[in-house]
Amino acid sequence: MATSARKSTESQAATGTAGKMVNAWRAPTHDGEPNEAATKPLEWSLIAWIYQFTNPHAPKRNRLFAFVVLRSIQLPLMAWTLGRVIEGPVSHGSATGLAWGVAGYLALAAFTNGTLHFRQRLALELGESVVQDLRNAIFAHLQELRMSFFNRTKLGRIISRTTSDVEAVRAGIQDVFFVSIVGSGQIIGAGLLMALYDLPLFLVVSLLAPVLWCVNLVFRKRLSQVHREVHESFSRITSSLAESVNGIEVTQSFVRQDVNAERFSDLIDDHSQYTLKAARTSGSFLPLLEFNNQIFLALLLAVGGYRVLSPDIQMPIGSLIQFFFLANILFQPIQALGEQYNAALTAMAGAERIRELLQTEPDWQDAPREDSGITQGNDIAGRVRFENVGFEYDAGVPVLHEVSFAAEPGQTIALVGHTGSGKTSIINLVAKFYLPTAGRVLIDEADMRALPNRQLHKHLGIVLQQNFLFSGTVRDNIRVGRPDADEVAVRDAVAKLDCLDLIEALPRGFDTEVGENGCNLSLGQRQLLCFARAMLADPRILILDEATSSIDILTEARLQHALAKLLAGRTAFVIAHRLSTIRHADLVLVLANGRIVQRGTHNQLVSQPGTYRELYEQFIQATAA
Amino acid sequence: MSHADPIAEPSADLSNAALVRRMLALAWKYRFGCLQIIALQGVLLVLSVVGLTMLGTAIDVIRHAAVAGSPSPNFPFGWTPPSEWTPYRVALVAAGTVLVVGLVRALFSFWLAIVVARVVQLGIVVALRSLVYDKLQRLGFRFFDRHTTGSIINRVTGDVQSVRLFVDGVVIPVIMVLLSLVLYFVYMLRLHVGLTLACLATMPVTWLLSVRFSRKVRPAYERNRDLVDRMVLTLTENVRGVHVVKGFGREPEEIAKFDQASGAVRTQQHWIFEQVSRYTPTVEMLSSLNQAVLLGYGGWLVIQGALPLGGGLIVFSGLLQQFSSQVTRVAGIINSVQQSLTGARRVFEIVDAPVEISSPASPVRLPKIAGELVFENVSFGYDPTKPVLRNVSLTIKPGQCVALVGATGAGKTSLLSLIPRFYDPTAGRVLLDGVDLRQFELDELRRSIGVVFQESFLFSDTIAANIAFGRPDATPEQVEAAARIASADEFICEYPQGYETKLREGGSNLSGGQRQRLAIARALLLSPPILLMDDPTAAVDPRTEHEILDAMQSAMQGRTTIVVAHRLSMLRRADLVLVLDDGEIVDQGTHEELMHRPGPYRKAARIQVDFNEPEPLERAS
Repeated sequence: MATSARKSTESQAATGTAGKMVNAWRAPTHDGEPNEAATKPLEWSLIAWIYQFTNPHAPKRNRLFAFVVLRSIQLPLMAWTLGRVIEGPVSHGSATGLAWGVAGYLALAAFTNGTLHFRQRLALELGESVVQDLRNAIFAHLQELRMSFFNRTKLGRIISRTTSDVEAVRAGIQDVFFVSIVGSGQIIGAGLLMALYDLPLFLVVSLLAPVLWCVNLVFRKRLSQVHREVHESFSRITSSLAESVNGIEVTQSFVRQDVNAERFSDLIDDHSQYTLKAARTSGSFLPLLEFNNQIFLALLLAVGGYRVLSPDIQMPIGSLIQFFFLANILFQPIQALGEQYNAALTAMAGAERIRELLQTEPDWQDAPREDSGITQGNDIAGRVRFENVGFEYDAGVPVLHEVSFAAEPGQTIALVGHTGSGKTSIINLVAKFYLPTAGRVLIDEADMRALPNRQLHKHLGIVLQQNFLFSGTVRDNIRVGRPDADEVAVRDAVAKLDCLDLIEALPRGFDTEVGENGCNLSLGQRQLLCFARAMLADPRILILDEATSSIDILTEARLQHALAKLLAGRTAFVIAHRLSTIRHADLVLVLANGRIVQRGTHNQLVSQPGTYRELYEQFIQATAA
Repeated sequence: MSHADPIAEPSADLSNAALVRRMLALAWKYRFGCLQIIALQGVLLVLSVVGLTMLGTAIDVIRHAAVAGSPSPNFPFGWTPPSEWTPYRVALVAAGTVLVVGLVRALFSFWLAIVVARVVQLGIVVALRSLVYDKLQRLGFRFFDRHTTGSIINRVTGDVQSVRLFVDGVVIPVIMVLLSLVLYFVYMLRLHVGLTLACLATMPVTWLLSVRFSRKVRPAYERNRDLVDRMVLTLTENVRGVHVVKGFGREPEEIAKFDQASGAVRTQQHWIFEQVSRYTPTVEMLSSLNQAVLLGYGGWLVIQGALPLGGGLIVFSGLLQQFSSQVTRVAGIINSVQQSLTGARRVFEIVDAPVEISSPASPVRLPKIAGELVFENVSFGYDPTKPVLRNVSLTIKPGQCVALVGATGAGKTSLLSLIPRFYDPTAGRVLLDGVDLRQFELDELRRSIGVVFQESFLFSDTIAANIAFGRPDATPEQVEAAARIASADEFICEYPQGYETKLREGGSNLSGGQRQRLAIARALLLSPPILLMDDPTAAVDPRTEHEILDAMQSAMQGRTTIVVAHRLSMLRRADLVLVLDDGEIVDQGTHEELMHRPGPYRKAARIQVDFNEPEPLERAS
């Protein structure tokens, strides 16, 4: 009832349980960039922005408001009832009054706890609904963004938006807002009742409230500072550990165990110093709060006792007793409000980053469907022409100059050149991952800008070096390009590559799980899957960046064979690493510093001195000399 | 070495009883710290009862003076104020006592927090982490094959915390809860027996409810974590595979996939919310019921004059609140027991894991290692039932260069890994200069072997430190000399900070070819008589391959070298080519010899020639 052990049901109710999820997934912070701000001052426009996300759930939100207001009245009322029974019937010895009082108290308690059920459930549900909406909105928005966004944004950052930032906003919605309302209501209610009982005593004890608030503020700031230090020193431990585990072969073969152990022990010592500092800070904060309670009780006895005993004032003893009960209701929310204030700052920082992401415009707008030069449903022939194309990723740093060439339907174009010569940029432009900064890229003689992305990508297949696979089965991965393909079509695509036996040799054939990033498959198998994926999609235009890793010779032979099948009958752009691919190409474009320096077939090019000859000689020396 | 086949877990006793025994032993090791904590908490406990009693007494004193006919106060602790004191003076003294007790309590609480941090975080956690880490580094590779990086990291971080939780989350709280329950109980009984029993009636219910609740909801939270992980995985793959997503126009399917994953989280959360929002009000209602009982029965007793108002009813309500918070702690303790058992199993699994590969008691020492290697009927399997090497016998003379060829999974890497004893053969033996490898001092053996892996792991440290990884005391001149042989000196010097350039995690600011050349330099700095190279060009662009080949070429000079290779250029240079197929040596000889007889080697080599053999340049020009 009164005195020392105060608990804050209101904030526990919401944060205590659902709050655990915040830690469920923590994005890696170790990406070498400055840490993102953990907090941000309150800002009205941002609050309004978050608030609008509750609009789709308005009925739930409005009911929640009603329950919250109700509860902020009920809580002071319960404390008052307790005090009232003790100062009234108990003090005056009225047994019937006591019975009525207890019955009233029980009824009020039942009512209050019924309210609590709805208040809690609605808040949690509202928080989760908004969080889900936000996550889906972020994800859908990401699909709209262009490749340049993904090149300049680290994966860890994007993940933080949908995990820790969204969780911070959740706390803002489900707790901060409503807990603050209940808390403020409690303070006002209890304060009013106390002032009614005895104004001077109320004024004296309420002097403690600002003290409490300041202690809170100072310590929370310091606590979050030391916690950040603890967290940082801890992530140094984890990253050192990760290195040790990933590099265990190197460590053991170079007999480095003792040196590593020493370094690690330095790190954990360092970390424990921060932990001790954190313990020292929180170890003085909580006792200070507790001490503040004791000061309050002592004040109440000294001042209240004086007012009761002084013949001039004669405050009724009942009022003093009421003060003991109401004080809890008055002081307890102060600490809770401090917590909420901090949570609000964190929510602001998270919301700001989410808003920034959601308001990031795609670098260029996609062509509207009706404008497309190629009407929907019509197949394209697959003629690709570059007309004086210039391109820069960063303004002022051109990577392609005046590139012009034409690929006739069904031709294979091999792109050859050193790293950084512009091969990948050409491929990026064919795929419309970027738009040229000068000149035009034409598909079937229509400017690609006028072709909506979805329409183009329906006719496009892409196989890149990384051979990216999604977690799921082999079949799922082959079907990426045509999700509606049936079993026959999937098998057929693999059979066309003459590789059915290789897939069937996998532990569970087409049902084999590939694991995250395809780690259960060998390099060759991974590439084969990507070929099959492109084969099934049966695109008019194919983009291929050959794998650079050497694969054992026999598998390599199979892949070469499959590749020839895949390229047949399509316009293909290949960043070629294999001599056989280059030899079979209809056109070899030799690139240097963003320009086409030579063009022709392999046989033509190899017979004339120039960049191609040099590359070729180097290549032969490396592979077969 | 990525076989994840489950093999027999370490046989040490990891039953719950054994784990509890070991953790109790751990607590016993830190008994002085623990006793200090318990003593401090005991003092705090007594102080809180004293403060509470003084408060109640003061109320009674004031009431007695102010309200005619109210009972006279009972003074506690055998203390009676001098009769000449006015009631207000008594109240002031009581207020002062409350204040002083509060101050002392604050100081003691602070002291307690520091002691706990010292014993637990500076003592137990640091000791356990060092122990686990040290052991971790010495474990055989089987352990690393069996567990993911994440799980291993967790053992040193989270699981160690779970183990120490047994000390400060189980052992100490159990003692404290018992002590305080006894104290409160006795104190309350002293005030009034009937009231005590009536008020405590709901306690077992609260306790049962909280235990049942956490048992019911915990698995749901774990499942929720899985669902959230799955959702994050969908996002991660979407971003990492953004080329595929966009290139195949898969955005709508991806959005649907994410909606589903995110919806699954929400649906499951709703069940949890329902449970939580039923549980909290129920427990709150029980506590209100308690207060009602106290109010009714206690109030009636006050009316009857059987209980003082302040020193009785109000003190009682304070005690009751503390009592019930102790009872709810029990549920927390039960959770801690579960958590620390899980953590302890994973921690002790490492601590107990036999170091499969260790040095013999009296190792053989050779003044100088010549580098002759002999495999005698060697068989080996990561999982003993699935051999990856079968009856391999071969002899490599000092200074020879041997190339291993074969398809993926033929056993090339496995064969290499037996030489530095990353694994021991399951049958047969490997001899170095005529001595079984197992008779050497392990560290000495490994120091005399330089290893270059398929994809070499570099550490986030300077280039110099990475090269000197195996010999941290090497001079800068030695480091540079090694880098020069590995043709790494040139590109290192192009960096403004040269050898002091910091590498990012995994050396990601270097190209594949540069990483491999550093790895070769790192191996060379040991000046090992034996050099093992596991397909160092595997992850490298063919056009930069020749840079590494040069480095490899000069590195081999004067050492016994075994290299896994695919390229004819390397195979032609080898003194001996071993053709492995399905764990067996199916053919051996020089490149020329092998090309003259039919077999898988000739077939494979011809395919490669078909693809890559240059047309004679004379004709072309």
